[in-house]
Amino acid sequence: MSKKPTVQPALHKVIMVGSGGVGKSALTLQFMYDEFVEDYEPTKADSYRKKILLDGEEVQIDILDTAGQEDYAAIRDNYFRSGEGFLCIFSITEDESFQATQEFREQILRVKNDDNIPFLLVGNKCDLEEKRKVSFQEAQDRANKWGVPYVETSAKTREHVDKVFYDLMREIRARKKEENKTSNGRGKDKNKKKKLKCCIL
Amino acid sequence: MDFDSPEVMKDFPGLYSSEKKKGADNDYNDESEKTTKKDMLIGKRKEKKDKKDKDKGYAALEGESSDEASPCKSKKSKTFKFTKSKDKEKEKQKEKHEVTKKSRPKKSEKPQKGRKGFGPSKQIVGGSSELADALPIFGVDLEEACKRGRCHDGIFIPLPIRECVDYIEAAGINFEGVYKISGPKNKVSQIKKLYNNRQVVHFSEYDVPTATSSLKMFLRDLPEPIFTNDLLIRFEEAGAILNYNTREKHLKTLVESLPSVNRLLLGWLVVHLHNISLKKHVNKMDKQALAQALNHTFHVSSRLLHALLLHQEALFPNLTITKYYPPLDSGSALPDDPVIIEKELSKLESLLSQIHWEMQNGHISKTREEHLWEVQRITTELKRKLKKFAKTESSQPDQAKSSQEKQEDNAKDELDNTKDELDNAEVQDQATVVISEEPEAPKLEQASDENKLEEEKEIHVEEKGDCSGILKDQQRSDSEEDEYTDSEITSTDSELLEECQYFDEKIVTMKIKNNLLKELIETLMMNINKEKMEIGEYQRQILNLKRGLPQRPPYKKCLKDPNSFHEVQTLLARENHMLQIKKLHLVRQVMEQTEQCIDLTAKLKYTFKDIKDQKIMQGKDITTKTP
Ligand SMILES: Nc1nc2c(ncn2[C@@H]2O[C@H](COP(=O)(O)OP(=O)(O)O)[C@@H](O)[C@H]2O)c(=O)[nH]1
Ligand SMILES: [Mg+2]
Repeated sequence: MSKKPTVQPALHKVIMVGSGGVGKSALTLQFMYDEFVEDYEPTKADSYRKKILLDGEEVQIDILDTAGQEDYAAIRDNYFRSGEGFLCIFSITEDESFQATQEFREQILRVKNDDNIPFLLVGNKCDLEEKRKVSFQEAQDRANKWGVPYVETSAKTREHVDKVFYDLMREIRARKKEENKTSNGRGKDKNKKKKLKCCIL
Repeated sequence: MDFDSPEVMKDFPGLYSSEKKKGADNDYNDESEKTTKKDMLIGKRKEKKDKKDKDKGYAALEGESSDEASPCKSKKSKTFKFTKSKDKEKEKQKEKHEVTKKSRPKKSEKPQKGRKGFGPSKQIVGGSSELADALPIFGVDLEEACKRGRCHDGIFIPLPIRECVDYIEAAGINFEGVYKISGPKNKVSQIKKLYNNRQVVHFSEYDVPTATSSLKMFLRDLPEPIFTNDLLIRFEEAGAILNYNTREKHLKTLVESLPSVNRLLLGWLVVHLHNISLKKHVNKMDKQALAQALNHTFHVSSRLLHALLLHQEALFPNLTITKYYPPLDSGSALPDDPVIIEKELSKLESLLSQIHWEMQNGHISKTREEHLWEVQRITTELKRKLKKFAKTESSQPDQAKSSQEKQEDNAKDELDNTKDELDNAEVQDQATVVISEEPEAPKLEQASDENKLEEEKEIHVEEKGDCSGILKDQQRSDSEEDEYTDSEITSTDSELLEECQYFDEKIVTMKIKNNLLKELIETLMMNINKEKMEIGEYQRQILNLKRGLPQRPPYKKCLKDPNSFHEVQTLLARENHMLQIKKLHLVRQVMEQTEQCIDLTAKLKYTFKDIKDQKIMQGKDITTKTP
């Protein structure tokens, strides 16, 4: 007997983080609906689901597009907790947004309590090369330091848009397989940690 | 089985406190106490195990906890009998929690089976039983219950009440003995548990008595009666007034001084019970019978409850019972009409903020998180739809409006709807019942409308969004042959002209009354001030005397023996008490008569006045309030 296809396709939960205006929504909409919106409209929180073929396997992706602003920090934490993978976006045209990625990384690690959480550093708006403020090397160094991949994208030209989502999903999938392989003991341990955390909160 | 032995009462003081007086519906709370030997044993074993486990650090892996306030009983338990001792009872109480854990999953499974097309078809909210423990909906302060069991259409009534009422209005209105016949205890506590667990309840899988008993249980479990401890006695007093108009006036004042949450809930229930009574020929429950079936639930006399039902139109004019449609879930088809989308969006936002709030309070579970993503997804989808619509409609901006008009049944509704757009209840609420003081014709004079708004300002704020739907004219014509027939309002003719004249008269008499009442208040205030000054004067005199004179010899000296002293004292106290009561009665009579006088004077003055004059007057001081 070969593998039976599961009734319900695997579901991977991806969260977009980064300062306001870096292109989180633009990337999400480009990936979801192949569309690019020129005008900027701040997001509070939006969630999308899409069925895709990941290396021949049908999977579902849940994308949560969050707000960059601090106002929604409390809401964001509720989502971070349930995220399985993170795309940390900055705009290569804005150094501030690059600096902010450090803060986001820390927030995620704090909430997830897991250094190996699937995570990609994404430099967006790479179509605006002439306005570049963050060098490729600079960003690559930070990614190396964190032990995560660095990819440059353009939500406008769709360059590497699919790539960042697919790469992240592969990481999530690998991570889940690994978790399944390791005995239940580890899973229990993790559960316990979670519960303890809840109590503290 | 002797579960109702006094020992139970000792161990659980207050458990039966609200039930002591009643015979008919001593319901479900005792249910929680009936734990079986078997359960107890399990409980004991579990407790021991728990202690060991905790040391090992496995405590967190124990099964789901559950609502401590009403642990449910496993079905089997009925077959076991045992004689319990006081000690056992105590143990049981300790172990209640554990026992519940054991039996809970069984309970919650049941209603999930064979669900019929009522509400969301998917059990999305589940498992977060720690929420039921920490933030139950039953048995907590009313405002808190409204927050926890939130109706996301902006109507601040606890979800269990809302859904019970909806179901009873739909399925129970023709049920003989509705509200009189109690539902099975185990089912009622099952419903309570489902609500506390934030699970979906499908009353269609139960029956009318279960729904009515659940509603009763909710009200009885409230820590404070719906009339509030402060006003309860005054309500009773007002309900006992014999004169119809005076009684109505007093009740109205009291209803208006209730906290808005209580007022809305009371109105909702009174209007609902009134609706039930309209079908008394079928359901055999007239207002009297309903009052008797429910007065203990409300913690009041049946006389007061009956009075409220009789005066419901005056007390809660324009209050509509709107059916609650929960926010959309992933199973539901998304609406296309932008107006409906807006409404759905506001419900979803409300739901989202509630989930976030619960999570921020530390109630996080896998199902809760799933739910959050799902609700967020539907919200996003609807927002996209709305955006698309806005784009395509920018060329024909009128369509949104016309589609709204489609939903409206008459001009009056539209007026209300545009006033409180966002918070408005579902458009599907067309089928719901609307109660209004008079059968209103669409072309009411603006003046009378405004006047009403003025009068009902408070209630309007609370009940915004309640006014969509069909006006039910038969409300009035169908209404009971009340024992108090001297109702001043008797307009059943809906001829427009008469309507206008009627409102004219009403306004003018009210204006006159207004002035007279102001005069009355002035004179009363003057009297009060005079008396205050007198009191001050006397106090000063007493002080002066005390300072000047030596201490008064004690009374004891004048009496021969302490016994007679006591006798005299009690006699005097009794007499004083009776005089106090007499005084209260007289004061009330004086006030009633004064008010009647004012009524009559106003009517007299109206008949003498020229209508044109009045119209000018009415235009001038439309804003003056009736005290
Ligand atoms: N040129 C260019 N503009 C972009 C790109 N991504 C986003 N934008 C623009 O940047 C602005 C902010 O994008 P948005 O997705 O709303 O940012 P968010 O706040 O991170 O969601 C919008 O005006 C987008 O049109 C990109 O890759 N290239
Ligand atoms: Mg955005």
